[in-house]
Amino acid sequence: MAKPKIAFFDFAGCEGDQLQIANLEERLLDILGHVEVVSFREVVTGHSDDYDVAFVEGSITRPEDEIRLKEIRKNAKVLVALGACAAIGGINCLKNFMAENVYREEVYGGSARWFPTYAARPLKSVVKVDAEVPGCPIDPVEFARITKELLQGRAPWIPDFPVCVECKQAGNVCRYEMGKMCLGIITRAGCKAACVTEGAHCWGCRGLVPGANLDAARIVMDRAGSDRKATQDLLRFFLGDTGAAL
Amino acid sequence: MTTYTVYKEQLPGLFEKWSKLYALHVPARLREGFYDLVPWKKDLEIAWDYDVAYNSAKRFVMPPHEALITYDRRTCEAKPVFDAPKQILFGVHPYDVKALNQLDQIMEAGSPDQNYIRRREATVVMVFEPLTVSSSAFWASVGASSVAHGFDLYWTKIGPAAFTVEVGSVRGEELLGMNGPLLASTAGDKEGARRAKARVLAKARKNALRYNWEETPRLLAKCWDSPLWRRYSQMCLACGSCNLVCPTCYCFDIREESDDQLETGVRSREWDGCMLEGFAKVAGNHNFRPKAQDRYRHRYFRKGKYIYDKIGELGCVGCGRCVRACTAGIANPLKVFNELWEETAHEY
Ligand code: SF4
Ligand code: SF4
Ligand code: SF4
Ligand code: SF4
Repeated sequence: MAKPKIAFFDFAGCEGDQLQIANLEERLLDILGHVEVVSFREVVTGHSDDYDVAFVEGSITRPEDEIRLKEIRKNAKVLVALGACAAIGGINCLKNFMAENVYREEVYGGSARWFPTYAARPLKSVVKVDAEVPGCPIDPVEFARITKELLQGRAPWIPDFPVCVECKQAGNVCRYEMGKMCLGIITRAGCKAACVTEGAHCWGCRGLVPGANLDAARIVMDRAGSDRKATQDLLRFFLGDTGAAL
Repeated sequence: MTTYTVYKEQLPGLFEKWSKLYALHVPARLREGFYDLVPWKKDLEIAWDYDVAYNSAKRFVMPPHEALITYDRRTCEAKPVFDAPKQILFGVHPYDVKALNQLDQIMEAGSPDQNYIRRREATVVMVFEPLTVSSSAFWASVGASSVAHGFDLYWTKIGPAAFTVEVGSVRGEELLGMNGPLLASTAGDKEGARRAKARVLAKARKNALRYNWEETPRLLAKCWDSPLWRRYSQMCLACGSCNLVCPTCYCFDIREESDDQLETGVRSREWDGCMLEGFAKVAGNHNFRPKAQDRYRHRYFRKGKYIYDKIGELGCVGCGRCVRACTAGIANPLKVFNELWEETAHEY
């Protein structure tokens, strides 16, 4: 059987997720041994349009991105969104809450008028996405597992429960019991509650968990003493493309 | 059973010896107001007056992630994985031992859970009579203030530097005697232990059910359609915290992952919980409990009726952990059962 061909692409983002994958080092060689990589800027040179699986990083922020993404969708049998920017829009969506002239000046300075952009959005707003590797950055271990599941023809699995589950598994003291905020109550797990375990709190980088109870979450944050602005800022950080941020 | 009197100054020597043979866990302060069992090390200050261990003892006998089998796709073979480290849990409160005893009954029933049983057998349990009571605990009113079995030693603090230690097993007695002959407790010491228990019970009874706990299954049987379930569950985040922190909740999910060569792999289990939206989802995406209300009610029925129907005890030992863990402030068996009791009081 011919090895499946895979390719990596990026839109607006930092390529941090591809870097995370490159960081798998020896494990990467083993996993990539089952496939043929036709395009991967972080690891190999060259490019081809003949591929089965496309891993796409970054958000869609310009009309011409749409054309390119639709082209990728047409070529690929399976399209995987890689990282928060691609999967949920992520921090790119912060600009969606700013005046257009302000952020364009900020990014492009005097030549802003040469670079038309529009509201940042995740891939799924433009094309059908078959699987997601969420997170900012992605967890390379999860990437490895999902890739293996795809290779075995299994449905790739990502947790459908909130970060709190993994946080409790880790035995952390809940931030709310310490009088602090945390978005773990509405965020999709899979990171092993990394930020809480490291002593911070969850920022929501893996996106909303399916069925997130946003009304309840707002009340929980209110009761914990977060003012409306602070709650909004926290919700907009990664979740700008969702109803949570409004 | 024999009871010995042991003095505080004997402890460092015993801990030193035990820690060479077992992974030794003792209660310590994590931060202001938070305690947990942590690995013992020399000069660690024992939190004798801890109110509740942040994490329950279940993780020692049923860890959050546990490999069950390894398989090899080339040979079509599978091998069980048994990992059962020798460990001593020093200072576990009686209600948490009650929870372990309950897990024993559940795990041994039907097809015995070999992974659990091996871990439990490798675990030495040393109970400690609490000195303080967590503000959310109510163990004294659900029949969980004492245990008669399921431990190796039962420690009670009877003075600033003295303990009575009741022997629960040969293994426990041997461990206690490792540093030389023991002093049998006098009648006075035993009386001291009885008084210590009475003191903490008086504190623990402040939070109580308004009825005898054995009524709970009958109470619930009348309350399937109570408006309470919807009222509280509107706030539910389906986060499962109430399940995962519970010392008697034992549900798990099964996962499999191949190695990077796609040749061998591991099947493992990890903690799951009935409050999670996907818990009762089956093939074809059918969900037996799709609504928060269904799941919320189910958990109280598990705690107050289904477990009781199986083994004659409540599935709740009143540790109060879920009460603290629920960020939405709705997980509270004591409050829920008492409110249901009020709702139906006219029927009695
Ligand atoms: S710290 Fe955050 S993730 Fe952890 S249990 Fe609390 S709310 Fe959930
Ligand atoms: S804890 Fe939250 S912010 Fe941190 S990695 Fe996990 S999902 Fe992302
Ligand atoms: S239901 Fe709550 S109070 Fe009862 S044993 Fe479980 S965690 Fe403790
Ligand atoms: S801890 Fe509270 S919010 Fe979370 S599942 Fe349990 S009842 Fe719902």
